[in-house]
Amino acid sequence: MATAGIVAFFVFLWNKLTLQHLEIIAQKQKIYPFNKNRSVSFNEDVIVVNQGDKTTAYSAHCTHLGCRIDKMEGDRFVCPCHGSQYDLNGKVQKGPAFRNLEVLPSSISEDGNTIIIKS
Amino acid sequence: MARKRNKTTFGTVALAMFWLVVASGVVLAIPFDVKDPYLSISSMMVVNPWASLLRNFHYWSSQFFLIFSLIHLYDHFHYKTKIGLKAGIAFRLSLSLLIIFLAMITGFLLKGDADSQQARQILQTLAERIPLIGQSLAYSLLGDPESYQLIYVHHIATFTVFIAIAMVEHGRKYWPPVIDFVLSTAGVFMLSYFLSAPLHDNLNPAVKGPWYFVGFQEILHWLKHPAWSLLIFLGVLVLVYLATVSKERIMFLSKRSLLIYVGFYTGLTLTGLFFRGENWQWMTPWSQEYRYSVLQNFRTPRVDFSPDFELAEAVTSPIIQGRKESCLACHTGTHGFTDSHKAEAIGCISCHGGNAFATDKNQSHRNMILIPGNLTDSRQSCGTTQCHPEIAERVPTGLMATLSGMISVDRFVFNEQENPDLLATVHELGNSPADQHLKNLCVRCHLGNPKTELGPVNEFSRGGGCLACHLNYSEEAEEELANNRKGDLIKAHPEISLNVSNNHCFGCHSRSGRISTNYEGWHETTLLASEMPDSANYRLIEEERVFIKQPADVHHELGLECIDCHHSYELMGDGNHYAHEEDQQDVQCSDCHIDGNPRTITAEKLDDESAIIAALRFGNIDGKEFLVTEKHNRALINTIVENDSIFLLTKNSGKKMIIKAPAAACTRDNAHSSLTCSSCHTAWAPTCIGCHNEYDSNEPGYDMIKNLEQRGTWVEYIGEYNAKLPTLGIRKTEEKTEIIPVIPGMIMTIDLASFTGKENDATIFHRLYAPAAPHTTSSKGRTCTSCHNNPVALGYGEGELDYIVENGKGHWEFKPLYAADKNDGLPADAWVDFLQTRNDKVSTRSNVFPFSVEQQQRILTAGACLTCHEENSSVMQKSLKDFDILLTSRSEKCVLPEWQEFP
Repeated sequence: MATAGIVAFFVFLWNKLTLQHLEIIAQKQKIYPFNKNRSVSFNEDVIVVNQGDKTTAYSAHCTHLGCRIDKMEGDRFVCPCHGSQYDLNGKVQKGPAFRNLEVLPSSISEDGNTIIIKS
Repeated sequence: MARKRNKTTFGTVALAMFWLVVASGVVLAIPFDVKDPYLSISSMMVVNPWASLLRNFHYWSSQFFLIFSLIHLYDHFHYKTKIGLKAGIAFRLSLSLLIIFLAMITGFLLKGDADSQQARQILQTLAERIPLIGQSLAYSLLGDPESYQLIYVHHIATFTVFIAIAMVEHGRKYWPPVIDFVLSTAGVFMLSYFLSAPLHDNLNPAVKGPWYFVGFQEILHWLKHPAWSLLIFLGVLVLVYLATVSKERIMFLSKRSLLIYVGFYTGLTLTGLFFRGENWQWMTPWSQEYRYSVLQNFRTPRVDFSPDFELAEAVTSPIIQGRKESCLACHTGTHGFTDSHKAEAIGCISCHGGNAFATDKNQSHRNMILIPGNLTDSRQSCGTTQCHPEIAERVPTGLMATLSGMISVDRFVFNEQENPDLLATVHELGNSPADQHLKNLCVRCHLGNPKTELGPVNEFSRGGGCLACHLNYSEEAEEELANNRKGDLIKAHPEISLNVSNNHCFGCHSRSGRISTNYEGWHETTLLASEMPDSANYRLIEEERVFIKQPADVHHELGLECIDCHHSYELMGDGNHYAHEEDQQDVQCSDCHIDGNPRTITAEKLDDESAIIAALRFGNIDGKEFLVTEKHNRALINTIVENDSIFLLTKNSGKKMIIKAPAAACTRDNAHSSLTCSSCHTAWAPTCIGCHNEYDSNEPGYDMIKNLEQRGTWVEYIGEYNAKLPTLGIRKTEEKTEIIPVIPGMIMTIDLASFTGKENDATIFHRLYAPAAPHTTSSKGRTCTSCHNNPVALGYGEGELDYIVENGKGHWEFKPLYAADKNDGLPADAWVDFLQTRNDKVSTRSNVFPFSVEQQQRILTAGACLTCHEENSSVMQKSLKDFDILLTSRSEKCVLPEWQEFP
């Protein structure tokens, strides 16, 4: 009983410690240069897609295992690790991934030159 | 007992390896920089051979520690008796198996290269998906995504200490026998000298985990919910535990299960290592990309303690995309690049491949691409992920790479296919008579034909992938190449740039339709070089073809080059396969010479490629407005719409000129609304008639696909070459029917039996005209009579076309210049018989036809008027509005032609 209690206490402490840090990371904003002409741009962990007048920021991490997608083949994003494919709307076109790319909340700066990504 | 303790076992070798790993790790910490691991490791490999050797030592000792630990485990398992460890030790030992893998994988992550970054993502995702504690566990294991600090701490401390304790606890000793140490150290040193630890060049798109997890990567590839794969780990650990503590049946089953698992996993590992390439796609050793996608993963250069360069050069050489490249230690002072292709910006391996981390010349140059940009390797050079991948993918789909029209029409002419508009590619040529004909005589001009020799693009050049258009030698570069002795370092590098000149197009496009020479005002004759008169009106091309001066295209006179009209999506393909050039070709005269409101696009709405090209060529394009093509809706980035005027900027020289609207005559009436601009404004077109093809099995020939000489070839016997106003024909598409210029494309005979050897194969005869874009535009259109009263324009061929009025009745007569062909009775140069309709196989397209008899009659009726009335007379001007009404009010002197009813 006492052992369980001690373990529980340490798990609690550990969770607090790490979750606090995760919270801090989550609050970090990322700012990348933005160019309306670029129909698709890869910025580290974010893919920015311009279609018509709509700009969408997707997480560049494949929903299968989190590998970072950094290229297109034809009009699809292709994951280098296991070949999952997504269309420009982030929709899965070929597995093993089965969930669509995560859309990240984003806004474009007033001068139109940068895009701000909130985690 | 003492002897037994000092006996060498797999366990003691593993122990020896462990201490070697620890010792080398401590020393490796000196040159290693956890803030920038990739740079620090690439620097070690390039600049610091001793540090590199040490890293290799750390790597190889750790790999063998893992291998010997596993063999040690197997060694204990394969006895049938129970091992009989206490539960506590067995638990900690089983757990330490996991910890060994964690120590190994964290070492792998600490390379910081492309492989490591993806492996880190996978590890993080897997950890995060463990219920309840996933997030915390992932963070505790890997720390802040932008830092390697926590991974480093776990690697050198947490996991290492755990392994050390578990080893000493169950082995009850700290040190292995001395001999184990000595042999392990020597063996690992040898290996470390010859085989470097891997480091990804961050360019190759194939990424793989460490060899011991490649099988796991294969499993992950099959799983939709990869987190379940963690149960495999758990299962293995439980089996190891059970095999260690249990007895009899459970022990036996555990061991047997582990054995099956190991066999299965070995198969998966071999699959992952040798049969998986880019995007984890299946790849066989005979695939063209196998070397690049799979074998490159195994590159392990030797440590070179006396590299061919000064270490000081290597130390000061620039950092390229986060890494050091050994190339730049030898190749210093290389110049001649555009800004974006400077060695300081993209290094050498981005284009040339090779091994950036080897320091020996031969090893650095192994698998190097001396001439990058050929389509076979463009995905590894110009088309790598960071550079122009989408273009490298598009170019092979374009007509200049597929030659679809050329191939399809040739097969059609050889009666091998009924339709000249099928899609074809040069890579699929077989051995049919047509395909052999193509291989002997035609298919040298395609972008995929590789450039194999250094030097500038000139009139002899064919193909060369990206270089075909983008390679430019400065005078200095050309001189240095000419004076280069084998082994000299070349400092003046040719430029890869947007400066695509007419000369780049010339090699291929001075042939067949000859648009390059037409454009500059040169017409090919059948004269031999020895017969060429010494006059500025003649020009010798490729040392044997004699050209004579003709009027140049008005756009050429104004200083426009090929690329001033043709944009990147036409020239490099737009990703679609097209059957013929007129389908892929986008720009039309009316896109620039506008009657009415221009179609435009603003700079901020440009597609990425157009915007980049525009900015590179013309600087700041903010707020600018450009014309857009009607056909494919592409921006013409060298046009500017300002106020009410449209300007054109020449792409290479930046010369600004106003674009004129079409003349009133072009747009004012209905009579000629179906004429394309070029049907009036073509000054001349090259024509040839009467060509014969036969196969000569003794003649030395050439296979243009294999680029090899061979015995036996198709031989073409040419007829006459002429330059004249083109014939006109009808093109019917779903959208419109229009009148276009055509030329006698293939009035020819083919001796099929000479190739097949079958006497029954009849000689093929064709009388086909081809749609033409002669590129000989004149600002003034052709005259009315040059069409309405001209037998060549109407498709009858050369001859006398006269309007005869006798006894108040009029009729047209035609006396051909050329004798009737024995094959079809038509004059040698004709397309259609006088006042006849001709259908069926008449042109090199399924939608192009000569004028029907009704259309000829209508044209000739106006022609009859023109025999009396001047072109600019008010009557003829009126005729343009409504010819039929005008005819009803004609005077008695006007005699209209009467048409004989032909059977």
